Parts: sequence; structure tokens; C-alpha cells
Amino acid sequence: MRSAVRVGTSAGIVTIFLAAVGLIGNFTNLNLIGDQVTFAGLMLLIAPLIAGYVVTAPRVESGSIVRVDRGRAAILGAVTGLVAGSVFAAFVVFVEVFGVERIRAIFINISPALMDFLVGERPVPVAAAILVAIALAAGVAGAVYRVLPDAIRKPVGSAVWVTLLFGFLQRIVPIALDQLDIERDWLYSKLTGGLTWVGAVVVALVAAGVSVLKDRRGDAIRRAVAGRRSRQAEGPRVTPLSVAIALAGLAVVLIAPHVVGSVISEVLGTVMVFALLGLGLNIVVGYAGLLDLGYVFFFTLGAYSLALLTGATLNTFVGSTEPAIALGLNFYVAIPVVVLIAALSGVLIGAPVLRLRGDYLALVTLGLGEMIVVLVTSPWLEPLVGGPNGMRDITDAAIGNFGFRDPKHFYYLAFAFVALALFVSFRLANSRVGRAWTALREDEQVADAMGVSTTAYKLLAFAMGGAVGSIGGALFAVKIGSLTPASFTVLVSIQVLGIVILGGIGSLPGVLTGTLVLVGLPGLLREFEEYRLLAYGAALVAVMLLRPQGLVPNVRRSRELQEEDREQDKWASDTAADEHVAAAASPLGESAG
Amino acid sequence: MTTPLLEVVGVTKRFGGLSALNDLSFDVAEGEIVSIIGPNGAGKSTVFNVITGLYPPDDGDVRLRGETVVGLAPNRITRAGIARTFQTVHLFANMTVLENAMVGQHCRSTAGVFGSILRTPRVRKEEETIRERAEESLGFFGSRLAGYRQDQPAFMLSYANRRRLEMARALATDPAIVLLDEPTAGMNPRETLELRDHIVRMRDELGLTVLVIEHDMRVVKGVSDRVVACDYGRKIAEGTYDEVANDEQVIEAYLGRRHEELG
Repeated sequence: MRSAVRVGTSAGIVTIFLAAVGLIGNFTNLNLIGDQVTFAGLMLLIAPLIAGYVVTAPRVESGSIVRVDRGRAAILGAVTGLVAGSVFAAFVVFVEVFGVERIRAIFINISPALMDFLVGERPVPVAAAILVAIALAAGVAGAVYRVLPDAIRKPVGSAVWVTLLFGFLQRIVPIALDQLDIERDWLYSKLTGGLTWVGAVVVALVAAGVSVLKDRRGDAIRRAVAGRRSRQAEGPRVTPLSVAIALAGLAVVLIAPHVVGSVISEVLGTVMVFALLGLGLNIVVGYAGLLDLGYVFFFTLGAYSLALLTGATLNTFVGSTEPAIALGLNFYVAIPVVVLIAALSGVLIGAPVLRLRGDYLALVTLGLGEMIVVLVTSPWLEPLVGGPNGMRDITDAAIGNFGFRDPKHFYYLAFAFVALALFVSFRLANSRVGRAWTALREDEQVADAMGVSTTAYKLLAFAMGGAVGSIGGALFAVKIGSLTPASFTVLVSIQVLGIVILGGIGSLPGVLTGTLVLVGLPGLLREFEEYRLLAYGAALVAVMLLRPQGLVPNVRRSRELQEEDREQDKWASDTAADEHVAAAASPLGESAG
Repeated sequence: MTTPLLEVVGVTKRFGGLSALNDLSFDVAEGEIVSIIGPNGAGKSTVFNVITGLYPPDDGDVRLRGETVVGLAPNRITRAGIARTFQTVHLFANMTVLENAMVGQHCRSTAGVFGSILRTPRVRKEEETIRERAEESLGFFGSRLAGYRQDQPAFMLSYANRRRLEMARALATDPAIVLLDEPTAGMNPRETLELRDHIVRMRDELGLTVLVIEHDMRVVKGVSDRVVACDYGRKIAEGTYDEVANDEQVIEAYLGRRHEELG
């Protein structure tokens, strides 16, 4: 009960926070379903809902797992919601009494529009009571969701989140349907922008149905797709169904830009560029285990060297001038040169940091990443790369008359390089080279003693990672057509590292997933542009706490993390005075039940 | 007399003011099994670390087939033909058993970046050889590391099997001489006996030279052609097992001085 009050208070504070950053007040008109379910409304519910779910989690008591029964769960959820609602209602009353305008002087998002949404025409006590009631209901819902039997819980869960997802995708799905000439008015309302109620119900039913099917027939389906895995065979056997699925997937990827339109193709292009950066960094961080915080170095290097090699011009106040060195190579001639330059630079960067490990390596690479930004901005290189004004007239990598600046065209160019990078990464990971990297990552000294040249393989990782990343930079230059140093900040390094970590270090599907989540989603949900970094930070914190091996983990990597867990378990059981304490301290979680 | 396979000549190694090794010399002839014994802290493991290039010696020389290996990186020394195991097991815990052994073959293969990406016929063949050699060295321990175990991550192995895998990984480097650092530590008596046979078989079947640090005197007695006894980084005795075991200084080092002598 005490935890219900504690968690409820946190949920109330979180709701206040959401209001204060504007996630409620600025989105009262973002309709998800009909005009009743809005994003703002969702934000009111979300914290108490999660709190209700959290507070009813099974606990470990005296070494055994205690589950909360249904009646008690409802009470706990109600208390949690009540507390959360009261905290938030108190805040609303406070704002109402103190005056919105005075508070707005500091918290600019606590606006009249927000108060209009929360209080409106109603008398303040009534409005407060409604807010408490909403939170209470959400708390109960969260708690009840926890104690539902799996057979109900899973379909309900997927119905809710899939429906909300479709609500969010209101800028994308309707456009795609239009392009495919599919009637859409029953699904998305032109009036509210969001799903219609009919559409929502259909989507929810389909999602629930799929969930049930997956539960009952999941294993059979998986077997049909993957074929029975035999120990002697190299990987899964190819079945007609798996080929069909792969071909269908490829077809979707290939026609995507024509279906989703220019705006989303543009986002997909950015996703591809970052996927290349992610794949490159994955070689350095994921395969060889070298933490590089200055990866923007190769991004910048790739972009600028491509611009220089292909005859871009310098921005000036009156127009443009030729750089000190103008080469005017064809894009496809220049790319191998860019890659070569980047690989050599990787070796140059790697050489001084060979002896460094972990934190020290991270710090030095961070510095190296900053250096290149200073360099391209400096007056010293201004005749070459344009200094703060940057460069323009970068090649559009045309083949004949077919240029790739158009987002729909660029998508294909970038896709080709991503496919190449995936192929290279995959082959390298499963080879003598990849084995040497893994050994290096696992234990540098032992790898050395077993005949793996640590120097050579570290440099190789930097070179290969740099080469792949530089292609990302080069494509970025082609995509944008002009360069300014402002695009090349430490934020790029952090974002790419975020992609690799979120997706799952060392995992190729992970890098792609990470890019879609961290670059694709923010690009699609333009309304939330301001909140991008907030969401970014929140996503990383959440993943690190709940799923440290990443969204689509590499098997070996997740083992490494489990190993740390095991060591902590061991430590806990060694140090605990009695076994009760040990049991409580070990992260048993739900899985042990 | 021909040049011994491995020569340690007047090696001194100091850590700060402490001399871990003090003008230590011994050699190992081709096909010999030599044991190094001595109480804890006698500098036995330090000898291994100096020979394999983990620590540079402050003075003295280490020669393999008459050529110095001092100053070479550990991986070069391994390639030259000196393989080792560690006193505390150091496996690549999250790689599979087979992969661990395959890392051992690294220094005997050449596939580079481009070969690996293109997977040329030559690289494919080499990868096949690497796998075969790795399986062969795992097979040295009979069924212990065979079958389904080869695809398990190394951390799932039992303690004794981890030690065996470490030896198999060393064997997979195709060495001329193997340095085993307390191979029976933590093993039960039956496993210890089994391992004693393995050490002898390394020489008899694989034609290897073995230098072993060992505490278990039954093993030392059972395998050694010669025994080198150390204390405080110095060699205090050398000879057959019986000679060394009856040496005054050795007994003293292990058991301490008799009371009356201390006075």
C-alpha cells in the first residue's frame, strides 16, 4: 500500500512534467481516434496507467514470488491512480488559483490552452474531481491489465497499442492508401485527422485476432517459415515459404518510395544515411568492442571529401567560387577514393589510441570528433572547404540523366549502399576477421597471447568502420546538395551510438531497428520535432533499464550482459548473510515464476 | 650438443623493488617434458609471462631454437611456436567451444578483409582447414569437448572442461612448445590423473615439447623428464624428479627450515 502511494505520487509528478513540457497542452487537437481520443488525453492517462501496472508487479518475499490477486490489484491500482490524480489535480488547482499567466512567465507550456483543456468551463472543484477520476480509472485499468489471464491480456494489449499506433501514423497510412487507390475514408476521418471509430474497432479486432493466432499457432508458423533447424546444416533451411516472405519483403522495400510519397521518402533517405553510419560504428563498437564517441569524424570526412572530389563549389556571400582544389570526378569514381581516404584516416586515428581502453578511448575519440568540426570551420581550410559558409553544388550522382537528389530516387541509391554495407558486415562478422575481433573484444590480452595481433585488428576495425561511415557522409552530401559545418556536431556521434546501443550492440537487424526507431519515427512524427531529444533520452534510459541487450540483440552480446548479471548474482549470494536476503537481492523478476 | 628448443638465459624481472625473477636460467630440449615447481610467489607464472612476451624482462634473454623472442609482441611469439595456458582460466567465455579453438588457428591462417568479404574459394578452403584443425585439437581430449559441446558457449563448460578447452586452444595454434600453467589446479583426483596422461600424450602423440608449472607432485613425478625448482625467482635445483625431490634446498623451500637450524 505504501508503494502504491509512492508510485502514484511519482505518476502525478510525471503528469505534471508532461504538462509542463507541453505534451498535453500543445496536442489537444491531435486526434487519434474520432475526436474523443486525443494525444493530450492519452498523456493524461499514461502515467497512472503505467503506475497501476508497476505497483501490482509480483514481488520476491522470503525467497518466493508473491503475485497480487485480482481484488487486491484493483484496490492497489485505484489507490495509485487516486494519488496520481490528486497530485496532478492539486497542481491544476494551484495553477488556476495562482494565475496561468504568472506561471507561464517561467513555464511557457503551461498555457491557457492547457488550462482550457483541463478545466474549461467547469467549476474548478468539478474539473479537479474529473481529473482525479480519470487517473483513478487509468490506475485501475493498469492494475487489472496486469492480473488478467494471458489469453485475454495479450490480445487486449496488442489491440490497444496497434490501434494507437495507427492513430499516430495518420500522416503516413492514409497517404499510402491513397497512392494504392484504396478507399480510406472508413479508416481515417478527413475531419478529425485520426482514425474513425469504425476504423479503430476494425484495427483493434485485427490486432487482437493476430495476437490470438500467434499465441495458438505461433510455433507451427515459425516452423513453416524457418524450416527445421538441423545441427549439421549451415543456418536455417530454405523453405518455399521463407523465400516467398523474403521476396515479399524485398518488394515492399523496393516499391516503398512510390507508395509513401516524397515526404516520407525523404525521411527514409535520412534513415538510410544513419543506417550506414550505424553499420559502420557497429563494426568498431559492436565487433571490436572499441568505444568511439567521435564517429562524426568519418561522417564529416566522407561528406566533405566527396564534395571536394566531385567539384562542388564554395558558398560565398555573393554566390559561389571554385575551391582551391577542384577535381570534378564522377560520383562513382569518387566513392572508392572517399572510402580509401576514410580507411586511411581510420588507421591514423586508431594509431595514437591503440593503448587506450574503455573510458579513456571514449574520451580521446570524443576529442578527435570535435577536431574535425573545428578544422572544417577554420580559416586555414576555408579556401578548400568554405569554412563556416560551407559548400554547394554537390553532385547528384546522376547516371546519365537520372539524378538522385529527388528523395524517391535517393532512396534507391542509399538502399544499394546499405545493402552493400550489410553484406560486408555480415561476411566480416562470420569470418576469421570477425572471430579475431570477437576475441579482441572478449579479452584483449588473451587474444594477443593466442596469436591475434591486437594492433592490426584494432586499426582494421577503425579503418572498416570509418570506410562504411564515410559512405554515409558522402550520401548525406548528395542528398542535401550543400554542406555547412553546422550539420556535423557531436550530436551525430551520440545519435549513431544511440542507434547501435538501442538496437543491440553487434547486431545487424538491431542497427536497422535502432535507426528506424531513433531516426525514422521522429522524422515521421513531425509534430513532435521539439520533443525529439527528450524522447531520445527517455528511450535510451528505458532501453538500458529494461532491455540492456538492445531491441534486437546479438546473441553473444546479450550473453556478455547476462554474464555480468551472473557475477552480480554470485556477489549477492556470496555476501548475503542468509538466503532470504540473497533471494530478494537477485534480479529474479517475473521470468523465474 | 644441439641447440635446445627453448632457452631462458639469466632472466631478471623486477616489479618495483621486488625481484620476481633473479638471473634465472634453464632450457628445454626438443621433445622434453620439463616441470617448474616452487612455492607460491616463487615467480613461476612470471617466467611464463616473460617467455610469452606479456612482460619484457629487465635483463637476460629468451630464445626459441636459438633465436631471441624478447621484444616481440605476444602474438608474434605465439606464431613463432610458443603456446600457453593461464593459471586462472582465460577463455573467450561467450564464444563457442569450437570458436575458441578456431581462434587458436588464427596465427596459422591468412584470410584478410577482402578475402573474408568475397569469400573466395581459397578463403573458404582455409576456413574449412581452420575448423578441422580446431576440431582435431578438441578431439585430443576425447569425448570431453566433442559433439554438442562444441556449439556451446565456453562459459557453460564445467571447470575441468574449461581447463581442457584452454589447452585445446593452445594446441590449435600448432605450437612447437606448450606452456601449461598449473593445468590440474582445481581438478579432482580422477581428472588430475587423466590430465597427467594427456600431458604425456602431447609429447608422444603430437610430438610437442611441454613446459609445465605444477603443484601436484604426483603429476610432476609422472610426467617430468626434468624438474626445475624455483624459490624467490631463483633456480634452487634442477634434475630428475628424484634428485630435486631430495634436494635440501627444495625441501627447505617447501617445508621451511628445521627448528634447530633456525636456532
